[in-house]
Amino acid sequence: MSMLIKQMPGRVESLHELLTFIRTEANKKGFSEDALNRIELVAEEALVNVFVHGHAGNPGQVEVRCLISDNPSLTVEIHDKGVSFDPLSLPDPDVETELSKRKIGGMGVFLIRKMTDGVSYRREGDNNILTMTFLNR
Amino acid sequence: MEIVVTNESDIFVFAIRGRLDAVTVPELEERINQWFEQSGTKLVFDLDGLDYISSAGLRVFLTTAKKMKARDGKLCMARLRDNVKDVFTISGFIALIPAFETLGAAQDALQ
Repeated sequence: MSMLIKQMPGRVESLHELLTFIRTEANKKGFSEDALNRIELVAEEALVNVFVHGHAGNPGQVEVRCLISDNPSLTVEIHDKGVSFDPLSLPDPDVETELSKRKIGGMGVFLIRKMTDGVSYRREGDNNILTMTFLNR
Repeated sequence: MEIVVTNESDIFVFAIRGRLDAVTVPELEERINQWFEQSGTKLVFDLDGLDYISSAGLRVFLTTAKKMKARDGKLCMARLRDNVKDVFTISGFIALIPAFETLGAAQDALQ
């Protein structure tokens, strides 16, 4: 399996360049503007999670991999060597509660779940790997 | 991102253009914190020029809504683009901050 890989420091300053990389690959596969926006949003949420949780005070590298295939769907993997952390273990926020009880925590992961067609986490050696799949409808 | 703040009488409008994401959100936070130093109670987010919002942006909207409620103020939004509206709908935030099709309707709601 071949893939395009981009590696950058795991901090917020890397965000726009990594998002452009992912969006460019998605665009090559002919995703609609709507789908591209969702892919970009999900990618931001996943990357920011890594920046915040993975490397508190000690930014390592984050690696984005876009799998190359003839398949029209897009698979993106995010690798980091931060502390072992499964974002999918977070409970969903209560999105129906009233303003005073509403919390922002977990919203990023919630958006990832809602806007991908598949998402999974695995720990390989000292790597966190989040895999996200988007179908091209 | 670009923020333009205007006011007509006691209704303040924050026109937010471009991208509201983890990189740009501190700028909006700063402008809103400045605004909260005054005693205003009527605020509209005009999102006609907003291309993109992530949970980092939602966080600021939520804290603003909570602060407005604490001072008995009113907050609403106007002119959400479809992809921005999607994020508000999925997150449930659409039920927390009233959204209007036009800026005029939003301002009327605050009268």
